[in-house]
Amino acid sequence: MTDFPVPQLDPHASKKHLSSLPTPFGQRSVYDSVSFCNRCGSCQQACPTYLLSAQEPLSPRGRNQAVRLLMEGKINLAQNRPLLEKLAASCLLCGRCTQACAGKIPTAQHMLELRRALGGSLLPAGLQFLLSCRARRPQLFAFLVQTARLLRRIGAVRLMRMSGLLSLPSLSWIRHADDILPRALHEKARKQLLCHTRAAVQKPTLIYLPSLEAQWLMPDLGASVLTQAAQKHTVSVWHDPSGLFEYVYADLRQSRRLLRRLIRRHQHTTGGRLPVLTDSIDVYLFLRSAPQLFERWPALQKQARRFASCVSFVTDILKPRPQKAEQTNVRLDYSALFAREGEVFERVQKILKTQFKKNFVECWYKDADTPAFGYSFVRHNLAAPVCLQAVRSIARTQTGTVFTLSGLSALELNFYLKRFYPHARADHLVRLNG
Amino acid sequence: MKIPPTALKRLRQIAGAEHVFTDELSLSLYAYDCSLSRTRPDAVVHITREEMVSPVLKTLYQYKIPFVPRASATNHAGSCTALNGGVILNLTALKHIRQINTQEGWAWVQPGVITGDLQDRLAPLGYFYAPDPASERVCTLGGNLAQNASGARCMKYGGTIDHVLAAEVVLADGTPVSVSRRQGGPDWIGLLAGSEGTLGVITRLKVRILPTAKHIKTFLVTFPSLADSVQTVSDLVARGIIPRCVEAMDQVTTRAVEEFAHAGYPLDAQALLILELDGKPAQIEKEEKELEEICLKNKAQHFIPARSEAERQKLWFGRRAAYAAMARLAPNVMVGDGTVPRSELPRALQKVRQILDDNHIVASLLFHAGDGNFHPQIVFDERNKPETLHVTRALKEILQACVDCGGTVSGEHGVGVEKRAVMAYQYDKPTLDLFRHIKQALDPRQLANPLKLLPVNYAEKARPAASPDARTAALADSVLRRNEVQAPCIPIGQNTRLQTTAQNTLCTQTLDRVIEIDKTNYTATAEAGVPLSQLVKALQQEQVFCALPAGKGSLGGAFCSGCMPDFYSHVLGLEALLPDGSCVRYGGKLMKNAAGYHLTRLFAGSQGTLGIVTRLTFKIFAQPVAPVPVLPFVQAPANALWRAIKKELDPNDLFPALKGEDND
Repeated sequence: MTDFPVPQLDPHASKKHLSSLPTPFGQRSVYDSVSFCNRCGSCQQACPTYLLSAQEPLSPRGRNQAVRLLMEGKINLAQNRPLLEKLAASCLLCGRCTQACAGKIPTAQHMLELRRALGGSLLPAGLQFLLSCRARRPQLFAFLVQTARLLRRIGAVRLMRMSGLLSLPSLSWIRHADDILPRALHEKARKQLLCHTRAAVQKPTLIYLPSLEAQWLMPDLGASVLTQAAQKHTVSVWHDPSGLFEYVYADLRQSRRLLRRLIRRHQHTTGGRLPVLTDSIDVYLFLRSAPQLFERWPALQKQARRFASCVSFVTDILKPRPQKAEQTNVRLDYSALFAREGEVFERVQKILKTQFKKNFVECWYKDADTPAFGYSFVRHNLAAPVCLQAVRSIARTQTGTVFTLSGLSALELNFYLKRFYPHARADHLVRLNG
Repeated sequence: MKIPPTALKRLRQIAGAEHVFTDELSLSLYAYDCSLSRTRPDAVVHITREEMVSPVLKTLYQYKIPFVPRASATNHAGSCTALNGGVILNLTALKHIRQINTQEGWAWVQPGVITGDLQDRLAPLGYFYAPDPASERVCTLGGNLAQNASGARCMKYGGTIDHVLAAEVVLADGTPVSVSRRQGGPDWIGLLAGSEGTLGVITRLKVRILPTAKHIKTFLVTFPSLADSVQTVSDLVARGIIPRCVEAMDQVTTRAVEEFAHAGYPLDAQALLILELDGKPAQIEKEEKELEEICLKNKAQHFIPARSEAERQKLWFGRRAAYAAMARLAPNVMVGDGTVPRSELPRALQKVRQILDDNHIVASLLFHAGDGNFHPQIVFDERNKPETLHVTRALKEILQACVDCGGTVSGEHGVGVEKRAVMAYQYDKPTLDLFRHIKQALDPRQLANPLKLLPVNYAEKARPAASPDARTAALADSVLRRNEVQAPCIPIGQNTRLQTTAQNTLCTQTLDRVIEIDKTNYTATAEAGVPLSQLVKALQQEQVFCALPAGKGSLGGAFCSGCMPDFYSHVLGLEALLPDGSCVRYGGKLMKNAAGYHLTRLFAGSQGTLGIVTRLTFKIFAQPVAPVPVLPFVQAPANALWRAIKKELDPNDLFPALKGEDND
């Protein structure tokens, strides 16, 4: 593309970054990708943070220009760190800007690159510790979650809230604990999960890779997926982390390691052929883009490409049933990491339109959805206004059920719906039939 | 320039410390718009309430700090960059629709309201706002007025200038002024339209809203040549059919779009038109038949009507994808904007394509065939400096070609900084001087968006002034002599409205010719002293019609007296004598002109206080149209704007002094 030296965000630590970004028009270096922003401003009105702040630095165009200025050496990272951190952290990674953009600029990916250049973690310390436990010490993680459930049951979370402890930044995420930790595992769901998890499945025809929420926070969701998948397939459940949390909130190298482990397991146990099912749109989109993480390693990239082609989303196993004629309105929450359009979304819309006909409310482009990928739990203050806007929109359209494509989005939305519009509830699409 | 700490402290007191930014990154992110211009301001003030604007501007005036009002910054001309440093006023937070009145057909809005948002609010009420710039989903109404934006519907409904009824403006010194169409005197809203923030900051505006057309029908028609497509539009106008939209593209563009969007456009045609009719079903049916007949007469290859809403959207899909088709090819898309008289469009487009080919430039070419406005969309990489320079030069060549065809350098995007230099191609020195005087009158300290619109050192570069004809020259001599001896005089036409008995009048009755009736562009040019009855008769002899009544008085009188304000939007160009005897020329047979201040609107209703209008070019029609209403003559009261401009243009009070109390 260019006949001059391409600047890099972090020339001395190139492995911290992706070497190129995927766009609908091919792979582009980060510099080329930000340079394709023509500053036309088509993205501005699609960005939830810009709509709320009305400030250029918190808009997609501003974010792209900031990265470009940084790469061209026109601004200094050290001097501008606070605002750079703010604009990188405040990006919800929802991809609405990319959808609105004529050149399909992947602003969310640019923000991830900026986060990597800035270093550090966006996660509160406690959550960071928990997630690193999940990746490295799964048993300790399981123990901590069980303890948290116990603490919640005896009222410790409530006590912490009353004592003001939850106002501490590193503990603020616990305020959601009451809502996200299941009160008790549904017996049937528990049995099903245990059965699939513990028993060694002979000759599986499908691998189910439950998301974090399906494993720990919404076991009903995991059970639903299993029930529906088991009608056609012999399912093997893998609890391996996908590396998505690390990709978004922490170190790319750690994410790469986890993903490599998953790909190798898939390669060794199934010969790289079996389909891999996931229940989260975020995990799905991440796994589909797995090859971009291994651009420097051609052999691995080849394996990643094969693995990515095996990944499927729950819409593949979903069998919608006809619903009763009289129903409340239904809509779809388009929250997804980096993207709000594509084949999956079209398929889901078609399913909902067929099933609910006039009761399916199509949202216009500015209607807010929840921030993608559990952002509410990470940056509550920034995410709350966006979620409230989503609740307002749900109330305005008199929606009764909001279907989401990831369990985290359902959890986030329910947290606010419960408080501000209890007539509606959010549920994962796979729970369409109850 | 550096902003004094005391000024910053004062700004923080007014706007709130959290709304004033001076850090390097924030300033860098307010340094651009959609053009190539990039200049870092010294501070950014985030305006959160309308009431903040006046005290902020007073502070800036006190400390002589320049400022640039900015909303979505989507313009292509560099109108929002702070060339002289200073303060950027970010108005995007002023985004409330204050009131919608469907009974009287207006809406009060703040300047930061997104045009598309207003449309969304009006749609359920069965109304719409007529101007539809292509960026309506992101551009603001304040920005639309500042740039005089228009879109595909301009041919039938006009641009922003015709749809703003009133506005509240804060001048550069912090004085708030209310202007409205009902006020009398010059059309101040017309002057503000396209002023690009160089005269003040718009804080609120009242826009006209119209009932939505219930029936719309869209057609895709292809032609073997550009000339045939343009002739079709001329024939439609001749039959009295004004389509709601006439969008067009040439073959190169159609191919690029089809490759990208697969809209199903035929690829064998040299020109493709998307026409849209609206109105009552019977009327549409009648017009459709005539349309088909005219298209076939002009060798149309395909005539494809949209039979459903889905088909209609499909026809528009490709046109809307034209920008995206180019945006994927290279990092930058430079959207040019020139307008020529409709009859000149095929010649101008041929020249443009030739320039693009000669310079080996990849570009699409879209045009609004109804109003002669075309947009070359040139792709390039701004990181490549020689390429950028090459493209910029080619664009200047295109604009020069446009002016050579009797056109303007901007039909709807404005001048900003990128077209400053080419303004000298279009205007002669007296006209550019007049622009400068207007700016000087309303912003003597040159604080409001400085260094925009006017070319730097234009005295030598300006287009040579055409010498006026003998009668106008004689009148100019007379004005000059009177100015030298400081002998005030009253300009009159037929003296039907002013009915003065004074001896010191300067009569335009000698200017009594109808110069041209152009039945291709549907414009007429006549001298100001032509009696209205004679003018209407002359038009009728040519079987064309205008919106003027065949009553008493002269054409100049009808225009300048303020008795026929609805006629202002019909006037496309003028020639006028200023108190210093110089002759200015503005506009012509152009349906759109966003280059410079709207001089036709300044002289409209000015009651002879600013100069003598000697010649007017205005729209004519193939079918009889209802004459504009005639109001009784009153001497309009002056406001701050009028007084300031009068003082600047006519310091010796050669023409009658302003009357009446201040109505601010």
